[in-house]
Amino acid sequence: MVNFTIDEVHDLMKKKRNIRNMSVIAHVDHGKSTISDSLVSKAGIIASEKAGDQRYMDTRPDEQMRGITIKSTAISMFFEMEEENLHLVKEETDGKEFLINLIDSPGHVDFSSEVTAALRVTDGALVVVDCIEGVSVQTETVLRQALTEYIKPVVIVNKVDRALLELQQTKEDLYQSLCRTIENLNITISTYQSKALGDVQIVPTEGTIAFGSGLQAWAFTLLDISRLYAKKFGIPVDKMMKRLWGDHYFNHRTKKWTTKSDDGKGGQLERAFCMFALDPIYRLFDTIMKGDKKQIMTLVDKLGIQLKSDEAGLEGKHLLKTVMRKFLPAADALLEMMVIHLPSPVVAQKYRVDNLYEGPGDDACATAIRNCDPNGPLMVYVSKMVPTSDKGRFYAFGRVFSGTIRAGLKVRIQGPNYVPGKKDDLFVKNVQRTVLMMGRTVEPIEDVPCGNLVGLVGLDQYLLKSGTLSTDENAYNLRVMKFSVSPVVQVSVRPKNPSDLPKLVEGLKRLSKSDPCVQVTTNDAGEHIVAGAGELHLEICLKDLEEDHAQIPIIKMDPIVTYRETVTTESDRVCLSKSPNKHNRIFMKALPLAEELSNDIEAATEGKCSPRDDVKVRARYLAETYEWDVMEARKIWAFAPNSSGPNVLVDCTKAVQYLNEIKDSCIAGFEWASKEGVLCDENMRGVRFNILDVTLHADSIHRGGGQIIPTLRRVCYASQLTAKPTLQEPIFLCEITCPASAMGGVYTVLNQRRGRVTDDEVRPGTDMHVIKGYLPIAESFGFTESLRAETGGQAFPNCLFDHWEVMEGEIDSPNANKLQEIVRSIRKRKGLAEEVPSLDKFFDKL
Amino acid sequence: MVFYVVGLGLSDEYDITLKGLEAVKSCERIYLEAYTSILMVDKERLEKLYGHEVILADRDMVESDSDTILKDADKVNVAFLVVGDPFGATTHTDLVLRARSQNIEVKTIHNASVMNAIGCCGLQLYNYGQTVSIVFFTETWRPDSFYPKIKANRDIDLHTLCLLDIKVKEQTIENLIKGNKIFEPPRYMTINQCVEQLLEVEEKRGENVYNKNTIGVGLARVGCEDQQIVAGTFEELLTYDFGKPLHSFVIPGKMHFLEADVLKEYAINKETFEKYADISQH
Repeated sequence: MVNFTIDEVHDLMKKKRNIRNMSVIAHVDHGKSTISDSLVSKAGIIASEKAGDQRYMDTRPDEQMRGITIKSTAISMFFEMEEENLHLVKEETDGKEFLINLIDSPGHVDFSSEVTAALRVTDGALVVVDCIEGVSVQTETVLRQALTEYIKPVVIVNKVDRALLELQQTKEDLYQSLCRTIENLNITISTYQSKALGDVQIVPTEGTIAFGSGLQAWAFTLLDISRLYAKKFGIPVDKMMKRLWGDHYFNHRTKKWTTKSDDGKGGQLERAFCMFALDPIYRLFDTIMKGDKKQIMTLVDKLGIQLKSDEAGLEGKHLLKTVMRKFLPAADALLEMMVIHLPSPVVAQKYRVDNLYEGPGDDACATAIRNCDPNGPLMVYVSKMVPTSDKGRFYAFGRVFSGTIRAGLKVRIQGPNYVPGKKDDLFVKNVQRTVLMMGRTVEPIEDVPCGNLVGLVGLDQYLLKSGTLSTDENAYNLRVMKFSVSPVVQVSVRPKNPSDLPKLVEGLKRLSKSDPCVQVTTNDAGEHIVAGAGELHLEICLKDLEEDHAQIPIIKMDPIVTYRETVTTESDRVCLSKSPNKHNRIFMKALPLAEELSNDIEAATEGKCSPRDDVKVRARYLAETYEWDVMEARKIWAFAPNSSGPNVLVDCTKAVQYLNEIKDSCIAGFEWASKEGVLCDENMRGVRFNILDVTLHADSIHRGGGQIIPTLRRVCYASQLTAKPTLQEPIFLCEITCPASAMGGVYTVLNQRRGRVTDDEVRPGTDMHVIKGYLPIAESFGFTESLRAETGGQAFPNCLFDHWEVMEGEIDSPNANKLQEIVRSIRKRKGLAEEVPSLDKFFDKL
Repeated sequence: MVFYVVGLGLSDEYDITLKGLEAVKSCERIYLEAYTSILMVDKERLEKLYGHEVILADRDMVESDSDTILKDADKVNVAFLVVGDPFGATTHTDLVLRARSQNIEVKTIHNASVMNAIGCCGLQLYNYGQTVSIVFFTETWRPDSFYPKIKANRDIDLHTLCLLDIKVKEQTIENLIKGNKIFEPPRYMTINQCVEQLLEVEEKRGENVYNKNTIGVGLARVGCEDQQIVAGTFEELLTYDFGKPLHSFVIPGKMHFLEADVLKEYAINKETFEKYADISQH
């Protein structure tokens, strides 16, 4: 049934101008997987009449059962463009055959790290938007992710059939709601688009947006409609397209085009889009649902749709689907749209290289990526590990950016911590086999040239989650992916049967590999901690752990959230700590960073105080935006934790001798302190530490790391304790859709859980309310269930991590408060003494 | 009672002074500071001589847990043994200050230190400038603040004594942060390593303080039976095998002719010595 062979695909892989790598992204339940189905059906893998029901890309049983996508899945497809339309493609082409590598990714926010991994290896994105729900939180999130990775978007407005069948919208109403959707999309796009990518706003008359129904497997762009009418009107297709959107009307009486809606005789003209694009669809829907066979057949004939005899015998929605699929086949419209508007690797890698490659922009590797050179040094980014049918083994899945990868090739496997010229996090191994990922199956392939996606066998032991493969000894890493979600919800696990511990440990290792975002750690108390992006994500991870990775019964503790430690004022005194040998003294004060600055540092956007920025650029930004002293801003020694976190160490000393000799030790101590704050060993966030003065022993042997590192940590703790320390707790942004009758219940549940409503609006044309609010993640466990219970199952929440919020209260207040309670429980859980250590442990007297 | 800080001298258990031995024998507890320098013999030999148990005090104990050492020192005698002289190369002033603040009487019993024994190579103690320590370079930490000090000494014709790093019971930074009490195997810097690092820094800073033809003096196990003193150019010393630790190094400034005469006796190659040594005839 497959209508193309692996050999054909292999030939196409070499025609790099005819490759399109794209991901399908959207809000949960907007219909990504159904849309992907219609695309896959075109490639002949699933029967076209089943397209829309099959969810071919949902490969796991639980995905099929829950009806949501959990893991992203890749598939390669073959598409042949009509010769006469080739000129529409925005770049050079090499024949009319195209290879489309498609990745279907999850929409649920908890799995958005899968989206990040998918976007990294593709160049274009098909954004699916629900016609009725419009642009939702997660649509914005994925769109933002795509644009910051320099991924060009095209859009499909899905579920148009529901607007007709369920909402009975008029054509003009539908047009207006489509306009709103496009406007909302463009607001997000214009906020995040970059110079390198150029203008990527969605314009219907350019054909960068399609309208259709994944379930019924039909879709059209204005290009398709123009083609239908261009001949009839005798005007070129591109001119026709311009008239199909906005205020363009056709007066049948005068046979003239006009931009005014009155027909000159006091009547109203119908908008060209409604008349030419929507009218035939409305007529078909109307006639077929009424069920008059004769009328149906006349209309079908008139539209030039050929029905087979068994198809003609269908009734109602089945007939409607069959007819619509033949009238406006979704796969053709979408594949054509993608081929025309999305970039090939040749074009995309030119502007993506600077964002991707960590090394200098003019070395051999950067040049090879920029030119998409199959004969250059090999550069592959492995974005995720895909489990194989062989338990415990994984395919390394990634994108070849330059060179050609083949079985037996000796490659350098560079982990995220690899630094050129050193040997850490580096392995040199042979690739055992190369495979093509085909949804549920894989196909062996002899080699894969640049611009393509590839699965690799035999590298899984050497890669944790992601990494760079190269053949060039001087290759730098391809930049590590930045996830939009952080693992803020965690749970500790242990085996039901203590003797299964080794299996659990092995299983945790595999779990960590199989998911880009999950974090597996062991704490000081010896507990195994699994941290995920949300409750659902954790649930899926633990299920996988129990059933696949460890295959032993597991006891799970209650989920807990991670907090951040911060300060709220400047330290009330200059803090001093002496080194163990008492020969060295460090003076310091802590103060809070502006919340926006913490966000800037976390976002790591170039030019906005990213740890990678040039010192002077960063200093100017800090001075202009946050009113820092330029000289101090230039003396930021480090960001932490992990050299990139939202805490800074600033050298505010004047003329201290030998200061540079202790800089590394200071950074190590700062890294340590910010990783384990003084309150409860949580990460710090938003703290600036100013080193005010340092006195050192004259001889370097008495001021080594062993003396300075613990001292700097102690002085950081003293500074933290004297600057009104508190916690920041993670907050979800919730979007809850419910009918007016269920609103009371929603408010009740939010109130019970320290939540607050920020926005409440009615979705135009419905009685559905969209309530937006903030909810502390700590209170979110079981939120969905109690919402369901309170509203009789009518309210659907969608939660995503939004920000960190400073907690009220003071840690040393005599009156018991929530803050103290949380700190104490965290300390207890971590096996620390219950009381926060007192200042005199860190603060030394002169 | 008394907190005795006793110098043990340089080589073995018999280097202790008679006064020191008397004091130690009167003590309830005896601590041996075992991280700034080492004796050439085990602590068992000390115990045999003193007829009393000796407690090893590591860096952690001396720096962070001095209260344990000083405990009851107002009631019983406690000895704190330091290799060399208590106030020689390493000073334990902080411990002494703490004892005084607790009104404990402190008595110091001196002994030989490498700071005076170094006179054995023939260079007069009067003519030494600032002493410097040469620490083990790591990949990221290569402190070179000794360089300007050597320069200052040489500018006014003084000799420089270089004390070479020893690492006993040191944690890696990773273990330090994780709080793991895992200690690295002991390491002692050799004269070869010292010269290598000195030359590296000269190459980096390029102020022509010394070069591979400068005369240096390597001293190994000063004060022991098998002590070694060897003079030669840096280049010659780079590969000369000095054997077991501890090593010290001297960079002579301008030598008095008598100093030079003694030193020449130790030269690897008398010709190069005469060619490169900076000797004053006055």
